[in-house]
Amino acid sequence: MVLAIGITFVAFVLTQLVPGDPALSALGPVTSADPEAVAAYHAHWGMDKPLPVQYLTYLGNLLQGDLGVSQLSHQPVLTDLQHAIPATMELAFLSIAFAIAVGVPLGVIAAVRQNRASDHALRVVSLAGISMPTFWLALLALYVFFFRLDWFPGGGRLDPGTTPPDQITGLYSVDALLHGQWSLAWDAFHHLILPALVLAAFNVSLITRYTRSAILEVINDDYVRAARAKGLPEHTVVVRHVLRAALPSVVTVIGLVFANVLTGAVLVENIFAWPGIGQYAYQASLELDLPAIMGVSLFVAVVYVTVNFVVDVLYGVIDPRLRLS
Amino acid sequence: MHRAAHVPRLALAALVAVALAVVAIVASVAPAAADKTAAEGTLVVDTSFVVQTIDPARMFEPTSQIAVKGMYDTLLTFRGQSTTPLPWLARSWKVSKDAKTFTFNLRRDVRFSDGTPLTSADVLFSFRRVINLKGSPSFLLSGVKVSAPSKYTVVLKSSTPNPALLRIVPNPSLGIVNSKVVKENGGTDGPGADKTDKAEPYLLGNSAGSGPYLLKSYNNKTEIVLEANPRFWGPKPSFQTVVIRNLPAATQLLNVQRGTNEVALDLSAQQAATLRGKSNLKVITNASANLFNIDINTDPKISEVAANPHIQTAIRYALDYPSFVKLSGPGAVQAPGMIPTTFIGHLPPTARVKRNLPKARAEVKASGISNPKITMYYPSELTINGISFATLAQKTKSNLAEVGIQVDLVGKPVNSFLETYAAGKHPMSQSYWGPDYPDPNDYLVFTPGGLAANRVNWAASKDPKLAALAKRAQRTVSDAQRAALFRQIGRSMNQRAPFFPLFQPAQAIVSSGNLTNAVLGVIWPLDVRAVGTR
Repeated sequence: MVLAIGITFVAFVLTQLVPGDPALSALGPVTSADPEAVAAYHAHWGMDKPLPVQYLTYLGNLLQGDLGVSQLSHQPVLTDLQHAIPATMELAFLSIAFAIAVGVPLGVIAAVRQNRASDHALRVVSLAGISMPTFWLALLALYVFFFRLDWFPGGGRLDPGTTPPDQITGLYSVDALLHGQWSLAWDAFHHLILPALVLAAFNVSLITRYTRSAILEVINDDYVRAARAKGLPEHTVVVRHVLRAALPSVVTVIGLVFANVLTGAVLVENIFAWPGIGQYAYQASLELDLPAIMGVSLFVAVVYVTVNFVVDVLYGVIDPRLRLS
Repeated sequence: MHRAAHVPRLALAALVAVALAVVAIVASVAPAAADKTAAEGTLVVDTSFVVQTIDPARMFEPTSQIAVKGMYDTLLTFRGQSTTPLPWLARSWKVSKDAKTFTFNLRRDVRFSDGTPLTSADVLFSFRRVINLKGSPSFLLSGVKVSAPSKYTVVLKSSTPNPALLRIVPNPSLGIVNSKVVKENGGTDGPGADKTDKAEPYLLGNSAGSGPYLLKSYNNKTEIVLEANPRFWGPKPSFQTVVIRNLPAATQLLNVQRGTNEVALDLSAQQAATLRGKSNLKVITNASANLFNIDINTDPKISEVAANPHIQTAIRYALDYPSFVKLSGPGAVQAPGMIPTTFIGHLPPTARVKRNLPKARAEVKASGISNPKITMYYPSELTINGISFATLAQKTKSNLAEVGIQVDLVGKPVNSFLETYAAGKHPMSQSYWGPDYPDPNDYLVFTPGGLAANRVNWAASKDPKLAALAKRAQRTVSDAQRAALFRQIGRSMNQRAPFFPLFQPAQAIVSSGNLTNAVLGVIWPLDVRAVGTR
């Protein structure tokens, strides 16, 4: 609760500090010259009240689960978020799953083959992955895999005009499966793959590099040599002894990856016309849509707190010494 | 080392196998999924969404206009890019000699999608709702009183002569709603409607019009889906479904080449030029009615330099107009004056201002100001017709440097820009004007004492002769006389107004080759009801 109040307060103050009246762009040049119309706009959106009253009203409504109405969409922020958050989450889950599934093994390969050709190649590729601008990669992927090869659709969450499944989780692929709508589930998944892979590119590289260095830190430790001396197979040594010891560092990076996904999503969502939280936040900040900015800020804060909590719990699961201490 | 390689090889092989499997699965089903995009009977319109609402009485954004135009009928309409008002719900009309009273006779065979007949009561309700909601489109009926003397007659009475009104009523914001349905869902048209009307949530989920399409679904971030209205009274639309989809221009460029029955609305002229010659596409580029210009403040308290008439003249002749046009791409034209070439009263190409550097330098010298310096503001993140204001501002700065005027550029987000701009605080601004309705009266804002003129503190008292001429033009009814008056105003403004019209950018529409009537409208970007197939 304290965190929520702090976040809303900072978002509220920062938004007020930005000069500009949302009424001017919302009403257009001619109508905004009419003081009566501007006053009506301010009254409609509660902007005619003193700032402390506006803030306290917001907090009062927040306690009742009311995040206000977006000036941009003219719909309750909660409704907007109920659509935008699952869209980004669906993208984020697949993207992170892919980044972990590919990044960790590649990091292991690079570390075990340190200074050999495959290590050099993986380091170059991961450096390229980190350096490549996401929007450029998104356009390139769209050009190759949609336009040239026609393997993936050209944006959106579903084919044009397709009715989404009734919302249970808001993740279209999951909801369609839960309703037994198999072709719709495939349609949703098909649309999901390319943006998720693009979003994963940076994180695959990041996880690869961190996994590699975490493994290199422990790979020559005495207990690893002892395990080898016992005659354990190499894959057992790497997976059970080396990787496990390196996992706390890797888990920390995966926590960071969550943040990368949320920020990287702004560009990927734009190119792939993905109606997620990134696009919503971008538009809201451009138009000084205060209720929407506050709603997104709260959501991001909750995500960060949750991710940090999960990472802390995972430390204990991975390394019992931490749990005991 | 031999054993050390064992695990990575296995892992590598597993990764490759997974990747190949994913690719194989996707490739095997991809064509079927791609075919679905081009479903028979579905028109797909790709555009970068600018939409806040689809409640006709509250909306004024381009994307909203496409959807609302499909769902709601207006008294009059335009066809294609013509700005001649044509009958639609009104089968005939009469204008009084003083251009203050407009009487419309309605068709008697029009029904809303629920079967209710459309009468003058619905027009009365719709127009009064627009006025009293005080939303973005309310200025369209500023000073207008609406009455319904009989079931099929509507009278609009303007407090001042308003010959532009016939070109205002085709605006989709003045689409007629089913008053019974809207009232049932919280709508009201009386004074105070801005506080009491609660119909918007209903109209975001349902349509209440008589047009050829009904609202199937609305999401202002992704897509708006319209379905054919089985009760439509007019000619049936060609498509059963229309999907208006939110895509950035770069993605539109790829999609329109792969789809069928598809239209891309936001490609720049340069992007569209790359598609010319493709047999499966139709590419149209022409000059937009948007007008890019530079404004300069006439108030010495804001800037002594900007308000100096010699400096203003110097800027007028220092600007490299052809290079601004070139920046916009094929189809763009230099604006001959502040009225775009699309509307009556525009100046001929021969009246365009030509760059004259010696004259500009002489004017700088005559100003008596050594090393003149001006701050120019521009909306930093705004791009219109594919042209970034930041690029234009840089170009202006380098043009003026050639005659010894130093320009300091200040880019601001649109909202911040508008606040100080509307308050008349910018010494100089890189700006633009898009038409609210296709009539020269919309451009009277640039004459002394007008809305835009006030933003550069150009009051009527500063040029009473021009202000009087503008007043006369505003009240003149005959199109021929109006055209002559507006040309006279335009010529004077090209000599002494604190506005420098630069260019009308190129606009492009790219559509599948089988589509007909996919053209950019002057007010609404696309009339989906008119689009058909060969």
